[in-house]
Amino acid sequence: MIKEINTEEYDAMDKSGAMMLEFYSKTCGPCKMLAFVLKDIAKMHPDFPIYTVDFDENVELKERLGVKGFPTMLLMKDGQEASRMEGLKQKPAIAKEIEAIA
Amino acid sequence: MSNRITYTCEDHLITKQAKAEKAFLETFEKGDYTLGNPLVIENPYFINPLCALVLFTTPQETAATVTVRGKLVEREDVTHTFAPGKVHRLPVLGLYEDFANTVDITLADGTSTTLTIKTGKLPARVSRCRHISTSKDYLGDDLMFLSTAGKNSPAAYDYKGNIRWMLTVNTMFDLKRAENGNLLTGSPRFCRMPYNATGLIEFDMLGKIYKEYRLPGNYHHDQWEMEDGNLLILTQDFHTDTVEDQCVLVDRNTGDILKTWDFKDCLPQDVAGSGSQDPHDWFHNNSVWYDKKTNSLTLSGRHQDAIINIDYETGELNWIVGDPEGWPQEMVDKYFFTPVGDVDNFDWQYEQHAALITPEGDVMCFDNGQYRAKSKENHLKNKDNFSRGVRYRIDTEKMEIEQVWQYGKERGQEFMSPYICNVEYYADGHYMIHSGGIGFENGYAADSLGAFLDKSDPKVELRSTTVEEKDGIVLYEMETEGNFYRAEKLPLYHDGDNVTFGPGRLLGKLDVTPTFDTDPDIEESEELPDEWHNIIIEEDEDRLVFHGKFERGTLAMLCLVGEEGSHNYFINTAAVRHLAMCSGAFLEDDDRDVKLNVSKEGLKGRYTVKLIINDKKHHLGVSIHA
Repeated sequence: MIKEINTEEYDAMDKSGAMMLEFYSKTCGPCKMLAFVLKDIAKMHPDFPIYTVDFDENVELKERLGVKGFPTMLLMKDGQEASRMEGLKQKPAIAKEIEAIA
Repeated sequence: MSNRITYTCEDHLITKQAKAEKAFLETFEKGDYTLGNPLVIENPYFINPLCALVLFTTPQETAATVTVRGKLVEREDVTHTFAPGKVHRLPVLGLYEDFANTVDITLADGTSTTLTIKTGKLPARVSRCRHISTSKDYLGDDLMFLSTAGKNSPAAYDYKGNIRWMLTVNTMFDLKRAENGNLLTGSPRFCRMPYNATGLIEFDMLGKIYKEYRLPGNYHHDQWEMEDGNLLILTQDFHTDTVEDQCVLVDRNTGDILKTWDFKDCLPQDVAGSGSQDPHDWFHNNSVWYDKKTNSLTLSGRHQDAIINIDYETGELNWIVGDPEGWPQEMVDKYFFTPVGDVDNFDWQYEQHAALITPEGDVMCFDNGQYRAKSKENHLKNKDNFSRGVRYRIDTEKMEIEQVWQYGKERGQEFMSPYICNVEYYADGHYMIHSGGIGFENGYAADSLGAFLDKSDPKVELRSTTVEEKDGIVLYEMETEGNFYRAEKLPLYHDGDNVTFGPGRLLGKLDVTPTFDTDPDIEESEELPDEWHNIIIEEDEDRLVFHGKFERGTLAMLCLVGEEGSHNYFINTAAVRHLAMCSGAFLEDDDRDVKLNVSKEGLKGRYTVKLIINDKKHHLGVSIHA
């Protein structure tokens, strides 16, 4: 499942369990490619929630979570960061991180 | 606007040279070429416009001497006598540019002929000598060879500063003469940004390439010929997260990799970083030197401000020359030296290049001095800084170090090169100091590296200064335009075979270019991309190079579609900031221009080429064959 959220939605959501927050920018080629990768990931892990966040429009949230660039993927477990991946990654690397926390 | 792409398919230069050589040798075989009527081939191998090959036969075995007459006086002549024979195939080297050169061919019995060989103007990108101070008596038959650090051509300068040799291809990094008289330098063939070439080439002064040693991790910075002819070559493993941290031993005849040293095995990667360090390029190995006495390798790691010495057999660390600040105490205690002697005038080296071991066991390098401190709050601006050649005496028993010589500190910012450069040891007290990376902006030493400065800006000036000092007296100083990676003093001719016929060889292999395993579901289009993208596909024998222009943030992917499926290569259109740019030969003026090298290793058959640009997958109407 992939869903775009903003800061307010993130703050209001139930953070129990595992999920991914992906910070992207509309001006970033690797982010555009990563969107296709995450679509495939979502097919492989249909129950794993993937939330995408616009880096440029959610400044306070990205600073709060220490996100310095895009794309950045935060793997979260019960509201806490378990690991992060910076830059464009391929499916096996992302799947490995998901499987580690799911 | 119209839509189009450019596709070229060319032989490797080795193949082109082999075809040309076969053709002129056939002409020679069929003709009756004598001393009075020799076959003259100008620029026979296409890449040195200041040379020719003269072929003729004599009835009796005799030695021939070639003399390129100096423009003014006899002592400026370039001359060489070849081994006796009946078939004479004589390289003519050291021609003047844009000049009707007078060339004498003289046999041992005194008979001679005089040829006129007219040369053309050199390409505009050649860097001119602005000032030279030396003498023919000092320089003798040597020329000063400067290896390029940008798009300026490699060139060699005589005692008057005239260019007497050059290459029209942009070879990479250091240029050294091998034991057999040939030259070794980096291939001009692009493989990966910022400056990785496919490998090393062995060639002669005419420009004939005998071998290209290709490496999966490509070539950067430096190489060393071992006594048995095998080659130490600096490289990396692109399957890891780091670069410029490996050295390999390559078989001279087969190109096979015989041994690999990975410096991650002996050094921590997250300590004592220089001002230019990043986690990716944590060490930035820019020189390798083998010392037979200690059977060890000495390696310069610019991004740790460290010259390290490792055991040749085991790769274990022996010692480190450098500022100990920031290193773990247990490493400081075990591997670092304590300054002794005139400690008031002692300086550590920072972001150094070209470390070497003298016959006495001393350590020399070009101390670029970039930042000249470990901690950021102490970093110096280049206008307040200096570069120099330095020689340290080390005692590996007491772990003490003494600075016994330096040249350059006294010159301050005007000799400041924040990158590249080298020193040479000729004898005790006789050295070369090449400050080839000088860059000024608005009258002060710029903090940006020369490769990044805007050369079209009249307030920007790039130059290169090469000095030779003997017993404290400067006997040679040359200033040229542009930046040059290293200087190497060599004669044009050597005592061995100055040319050997037969086809050159491509040895070793490139890596399989990593593909992207996600195939974006994007609408296919028969329409070619807009001309603005300036798509160029260059195919040669072992790879293709894709060129294109993209606005930052464009989704771009090259797709090679074959019978067995698609090989997809992601094209990064994000701005990439390189902290080190030791050769800007592959750097584009417009950072929206991107290049992608795809090796044919791992590909087989015919592939049609498609290109994803954002929401369209364009058919380019081109197919390649692997």
